[in-house]
Amino acid sequence: MRMRRSEAGGGGRDRGGKKQFKKKFLFRKKKFCKFCDEKIKFIDYKDLRLLQAFTPERAKIFPRRISGTCSKHQRKLMQAIKRARTLALIPFTSD
Amino acid sequence: MSQEPWQPDEPGKREMLRMLQYETIFVTDPNLAEDEVDELVKGVDHLAASAKGKILKVEKWGKRRLAYTVDRREEGIYVLLVLEIPTDMVKELDRRYRMNDRILRHLTVRVENEAQLGPSPMMKPRPAEREDLPVEPAAAL
Repeated sequence: MRMRRSEAGGGGRDRGGKKQFKKKFLFRKKKFCKFCDEKIKFIDYKDLRLLQAFTPERAKIFPRRISGTCSKHQRKLMQAIKRARTLALIPFTSD
Repeated sequence: MSQEPWQPDEPGKREMLRMLQYETIFVTDPNLAEDEVDELVKGVDHLAASAKGKILKVEKWGKRRLAYTVDRREEGIYVLLVLEIPTDMVKELDRRYRMNDRILRHLTVRVENEAQLGPSPMMKPRPAEREDLPVEPAAAL
C-alpha cells in the first residue's frame, strides 16, 4: 500500500520547530519609521531634543536596524546630526 | 567682519545670478561683548546689502555650552541669521567667517523648509513642554 504524502514521517517535528520559532518572536513589536508616522518632512539640525533621541549614550548615530527609521529619513537625520556636530551643538563622541 | 567692498566672481553675470535664501549660524568667542556681536551681524548685513541682498531674520541664542572644546573654549555665543543673497556670495561669506578668528564655528545652508523662516526650535519652550516630537526610539528591542 502506498503512503500518502501527508502521512510521511518527520512532518510533525518540523511543525514543532516552527511553533517554537513563532513563540520566541511573538511579542516583538513591528518596527516603523517615526518620521513617516509623524509625517515629518524636514529634520532640523537645530532641533536638539529630536537629534539627541537618535544619538544615545555614546553620541553615535542610532542605526536603522534598531530604530526602524526608513532609509530616506535616516539619510536626512544623518545630515542633520552631522551639521549639529560641526556647530558643537551635539558631541561627536561622549563616554 | 571686514568692511571692504565685495566683488562677484564675474561682474557681467550679476544680473543672471539668482537670489536665494540661506540660513547661516556662527559661533563666536564667549568673551565678546553684546555690541561686538552686533558688529559681526552688521558686517554680514553690510555684505548682503552690497549685492542688494538682505537679512530676513536675526536670532541670538546667547551664550551656550559647547558640546566639545573648541580652541580651548567651553562656551560660545550663537547667532542665527536668515539671508537672501546671490548664490555666489555664499563662498565670500564663508571666506570671511574663516578669516575672522573670533568666530569658532560657522555653517551656511539653503533654506529648504518654511519652518526655517520662523522661530527655531531653540526659541521654543523647554523640551518637557513640547509634544510635537516622536517618542524615544530603542523601545523596539
